[in-house]
Amino acid sequence: MSLSSRMIIVLTAVGLISGGFLAGVAKLTKERIAFNIQKEIEEAIVNVIPGTVQNQKLYEEEDLSIYGGQDESGQSIGYAVQSTGIGFQDKITLMFGINVSLTKIIGLAVIDQKETPGLGAKIRDWNAFLQFWENRNATGEIILRKPPAGSLEELSPMEINTITGATISSKKVLEIVNFSLERLRELQKEGRLEGKPDAN
Amino acid sequence: MPTKSIRAEFLKGLWAENPVFRQLLGMCPTLAVTGTVITGLAMGLATTFVLIFSSLVVSLVKKLIPSQVRIASYVVVIASFVTIADQFLKAYFYPISKAMGPYVPLIVVNCIILGRQEAFSSKNSVGRSFIDALGMSSGFVLALLVLSTIREILGAGTFLGSQVMGPWFKPWIIMILPAGAFLTLGILLGIALVIESKTKRD
Amino acid sequence: MELVAIFISAVLIQNFVLYYFLGICPFLGVSKKIDSAFSMGLAVTFVMSITAVVSWLINNLILIPYGLDYLQIVSFILVIASLVQLVEMFIRKISPPLYQALGIYLPLITTNCAIMGLALIAALNEYSFVETVVFGFGSGIGFTLAIILMAGIREQLDLADVPEPLKGAGIALIVAGIMALAFNGFIGMLT
Repeated sequence: MSLSSRMIIVLTAVGLISGGFLAGVAKLTKERIAFNIQKEIEEAIVNVIPGTVQNQKLYEEEDLSIYGGQDESGQSIGYAVQSTGIGFQDKITLMFGINVSLTKIIGLAVIDQKETPGLGAKIRDWNAFLQFWENRNATGEIILRKPPAGSLEELSPMEINTITGATISSKKVLEIVNFSLERLRELQKEGRLEGKPDAN
Repeated sequence: MPTKSIRAEFLKGLWAENPVFRQLLGMCPTLAVTGTVITGLAMGLATTFVLIFSSLVVSLVKKLIPSQVRIASYVVVIASFVTIADQFLKAYFYPISKAMGPYVPLIVVNCIILGRQEAFSSKNSVGRSFIDALGMSSGFVLALLVLSTIREILGAGTFLGSQVMGPWFKPWIIMILPAGAFLTLGILLGIALVIESKTKRD
Repeated sequence: MELVAIFISAVLIQNFVLYYFLGICPFLGVSKKIDSAFSMGLAVTFVMSITAVVSWLINNLILIPYGLDYLQIVSFILVIASLVQLVEMFIRKISPPLYQALGIYLPLITTNCAIMGLALIAALNEYSFVETVVFGFGSGIGFTLAIILMAGIREQLDLADVPEPLKGAGIALIVAGIMALAFNGFIGMLT
């Protein structure tokens, strides 16, 4: 057998064997991986709309996904909005829960961020940042409180606390939320989210 | 060249020919994922998996592969095992996989692995290649553990996520940043050389 | 404007060497003299730009449509290995003096994590074709910038009194650390 044909046969064999092997592995892990991604989103939804037992994706566009959450009785209890935008360092992906009439933000969770460790990265932290997002008034634009208030009670419902030393990251989160709120209102007007207004 | 004992074949990877500290290979992942011990360990184990299996396969088929296409073949073998490791992590250790970003696939260009195929597995028995791979991997894991332990304890006050430094300790954030990785590795290299020269003199 | 942001980010803010830790081997190995550093930087930028194009095409025209994502790693590395081989043959024909100058560096580019990293990160960020090209070119420039700066500093260091254990790689890494800190200052430039 000439050298060239031997080379070609070997390379093809190597390629085919690896390809086949990898295809098998991919098949085995595909479901599990999809499940993991799904699970992460579901946990975030339950986090920002407590009491959710069921959810479905209502709308999706680039960098924005909206899920509807229902409680055990099937009653719609809120929307979970997953949004990605530019942070200080890199992209931030967050999710916030909002009631169906779009008047109150129930809570916020940060899913992905690459902000400065020890400073901007604190936006993931409950004590430093996330707790101040509970029950914010969403009827208008939310603003930053600087210097930060000492406790949740001191904040007016339209304010959130800035993290000391991470003003820009805090501001970026706020920008993403405000932008998503506007988009959300537009979409609701267009009837793209089948939400039933309730008494909240 | 006299054949080394099995013991020596294994131990060389740990110190004398430690891939990171002496051969200066595999620096990219070493610097990138050693911000926390858990990611450093995960990278070490993933690389170990890839190195051992690649070495086994290459050593098994070394006689079948014409020299001209050997690099391409080694690369495909390595890339396959890296893909398996990556898929495995994504499926069963999703949070860690996310924390490591694009660095698991980058194991494929970790010079340690291709280097060992070229320098050893293609020329030695399966048994010896296995021991060599095991030794080199252990050396690599050791380097990762040392670096990540230093960076996590000094940079966040934690070890494997649990607080080990008291509240009086203000973390040196720089340790978690890229700069800290470079500085720590540079200093460790210096220390390794000092130890080396001191033991030589004795 | 988005494209400008991607370019600046690749060169300064998320510099491939000082932020992503890619391309360290050549960064440490070839940064002793400014000339060789510059040549390596050019070669890398060239290969990176082409890799960006080819990897995008393969990923978006073949892999993703057929659900073959898991073949990314294998495909990309094969693409890179072939490209480097082609580039080597091409430069050899077109400009023998350039080929001589680059010498051993060309084959070494294959295991340069920066190239593979480029393909993977662009795929991860799901960049469009144009974005990928700009990203590829920008990262090459970023790499070249880092390696030239390092060479400049090391040429000076050669004349200084570096403690024995730190000579070579040790001091190079420490310098890299300080450079990384300096580049940290670019964060937030685009805000």
